[in-house]
Amino acid sequence: MAESPIRLTLHDDLVRSRLTVFFRLLLAIPHLVWISMWGTAAYLAVIVNWFATLFVAKSPDGLHRFLGAYLRYSIHVRAYLLLAANPYPAFLGQPGTYPVDLEIDPPERQNRWKVGFRAILLLPAFMLLAILSSVGGFRMGLAPVSAFLGWFAALFTGRAPRGLRDAAVYSLRYSAEFGGYMFVLTDRYPGASPTDPPIPSVAQDHPIVLSVEDDLRRSRLLVFFRFALVVPHLVWLQLWSILALLAGVANWFATLATGRSPAPLRRFLSAFLRYSIHVYAFFWLTANPFPGFVGKPGSYPVDVEIAPGERQNRWRTGFRFLLALPALLVAGALNYLLTIAGLFGWFVALFTGGMPKGLRDAGAYALRYTAQTYGYLYLLTDRYPHASPGLDAPPGPPAGLPPTPTAGVEPAPEGSPARSEPVPP
Amino acid sequence: MSRRARRWAWAVAALVAAGAWVWLASRLWRTSVPGDLRLPDLSASNYFSHAELDRTRTFERFERIDFLLSQAALVLALLVYSVRGRALVRESAAGPIGTGLLLGMLAFGVVWLAQLPFEVAGVWWEHHYGVSKAGVVESVVDSWLSLGSVFLFVCVAIAIVMGLARPLGNRWWLAGAPVFVALGLLFTWVQPYLIPDVHRLRDPRLTAEARQLARTERLPPIPVDVEDVHKFTDLPNAEAVGLGGSRRVVLWDTLLNDGFGPRQIRTVLAHELGHHAHGHLWKQVGWSALTAFPLAFLIALATARVGGMRVPTAVPLAVLVLILLQLVTSPLTTAVTRRMEAEADWSALRATRDPTGARVLFQGFAKKALEQPDPPGWWRLIAGDHPTIMERIEMAREFQARRPRPGGPNRPGGSGGSGPR
Repeated sequence: MAESPIRLTLHDDLVRSRLTVFFRLLLAIPHLVWISMWGTAAYLAVIVNWFATLFVAKSPDGLHRFLGAYLRYSIHVRAYLLLAANPYPAFLGQPGTYPVDLEIDPPERQNRWKVGFRAILLLPAFMLLAILSSVGGFRMGLAPVSAFLGWFAALFTGRAPRGLRDAAVYSLRYSAEFGGYMFVLTDRYPGASPTDPPIPSVAQDHPIVLSVEDDLRRSRLLVFFRFALVVPHLVWLQLWSILALLAGVANWFATLATGRSPAPLRRFLSAFLRYSIHVYAFFWLTANPFPGFVGKPGSYPVDVEIAPGERQNRWRTGFRFLLALPALLVAGALNYLLTIAGLFGWFVALFTGGMPKGLRDAGAYALRYTAQTYGYLYLLTDRYPHASPGLDAPPGPPAGLPPTPTAGVEPAPEGSPARSEPVPP
Repeated sequence: MSRRARRWAWAVAALVAAGAWVWLASRLWRTSVPGDLRLPDLSASNYFSHAELDRTRTFERFERIDFLLSQAALVLALLVYSVRGRALVRESAAGPIGTGLLLGMLAFGVVWLAQLPFEVAGVWWEHHYGVSKAGVVESVVDSWLSLGSVFLFVCVAIAIVMGLARPLGNRWWLAGAPVFVALGLLFTWVQPYLIPDVHRLRDPRLTAEARQLARTERLPPIPVDVEDVHKFTDLPNAEAVGLGGSRRVVLWDTLLNDGFGPRQIRTVLAHELGHHAHGHLWKQVGWSALTAFPLAFLIALATARVGGMRVPTAVPLAVLVLILLQLVTSPLTTAVTRRMEAEADWSALRATRDPTGARVLFQGFAKKALEQPDPPGWWRLIAGDHPTIMERIEMAREFQARRPRPGGPNRPGGSGGSGPR
């Protein structure tokens, strides 16, 4: 797929100043005042830009620059608020001045039909944006949940957790593409995929990974009846979950006592976890075929691979439920993403017989994190879930891009212009 | 045992089974309606105005055509599905039984799709005549959502059949039929607890009347519930549900709120208690037991040629055979329910001794539900699960004619019936 005309670049070393993290909301006030003033002018400019593009099929250079600067600035400010970056942003939205930045291509010809119906076309993307970034009154989006949890972590450790930062970057990237589309800077629809282009990936060493072997084809008949077809599975899952809860409690006691999860309980809970992911992958159209009822490994295109059991830390086992609470919060936010991706995917798949890759990938991201969270909660592993959307990215970089460093990227010194490089660097 | 002897043994077993079937059916067919009851041939125009008769006739004519077309579409869709449905195996990752469940659910999904235009037409027609409050879109969405529960039942049924077919092969029906009867029994017992939006009857006078009627029928006090349906419909209705300790009478709130007087409601209560008094719900289970065995046997026979019910690709054919058998046996089914309803009507007349109240009630039903008082005979045969309105009025009239007069010999119980318990 061709590169997006609006690209997010990231040069962040995860280091955070505890002092600025503590006061971050207050420190952002001047920016919030300025952005609201600039925003008023920008929204008037959008109307002019819409008319102009509708007539000449191209956004005028001046308006494009003005709106591009506003969009870039709003991403700087939101990255600062969401703790996706450390330095205090400048006020003019200049390119290359911030660790989380935007590259915006010069104006290009746009399809007039897509311009004319832009407001209607925006609606699905807006709902996805609301789920990711908590706009439009929705309060439990991925970005604010990541920022909320990241605030505590950064305050105590002086570093932003990689997974939470990446989750925020994913939502920022979607916001930027949405903004570009809304401001009529481009007619390229915002892409929902968290891995296309990939957020800089961390090593795939988590004991619970999601394998996706899906060709994006969907049977229209199964799609049409999807919500009814899944009912028997949901009932079965509900019955199974009662036993899984009891097994989970037994597993907790056993692991606390022996430091290992007993093999029979582990097998039972692994099958339950796999089955629940199969069911939700089917329900929300992350996969096509009707799943089996026993959670057999390798039996479904969206499957959970669980590494063999290892010794677990008893302290982490003892406080497992409390420790899992933040992950459950993130999983909750991602569950909304899965739902919206499934709902939109339903309409698209019904008409086209295929699932959009972006929505499928967004669903897979949510399912992978959910699997890791419940794997952690059920003591299948004591490795904490990783919120980074890049976790399951292909090991090699996409063609034409330089290799991705695993341990992070070069820091951009505070106050100096950040090196501009597309994601992944 | 030689082949010839085995054939004889089978033939004798089949004869014994058929004899047992007939004997049991004759027991279930019994009724307390007097055998010498001859309904007078009354004219509908004596009870309904020409305008009312015209309106019900026009309304029902459309409904009948719609029904017939929908049944034709149903059979056609299932015929196509039984041939082409097996290709959907590739859409499953669920193993043989799971794939069978998928094919079974999709069969009913295809049925739903095929009947959708006729359902839409029916809803529009009812809405047009003010019989239903539901709009077309609302009805379609509701019916689409209710597919979930249909699919759930389909899954349970197919899981049982395929689960039994694995060890038993084509003899699964011998074990399957009793399992389905047991499930039917269980469902009849729990049904009162599954009805949404119900509350206990709050009217103390009606509650006392229900208790009195139950005593008359020699029943223990049976709770009377009210189901709130006025948001969806204005039609009046009631039902007897449950078995043993779960027995209930359920009245729709539209019956209480809308135009029916205390005498009519009393008749309805007596009718529903009549069902309980004569063990009609047990009888229904009995009939389902009698039909389950031959139905299951015929399905096993039909699917044996395509690998039997152990293979998922046999499921579309099994569904087709099941639906065809249900269509073919519908005259028998409706005859059975008509007979029970007639018995409940007679029982209500005996308990209330109010034939005028009953007549007014039936007239009200016809006017509210636009039910044609004297529909064509063929329609009564295939879809008439209750006696026609005119038959019910005629029964009330006959009861009135048989009312005991001081010193007179005739009693409504008649000489030929077994009478209520």
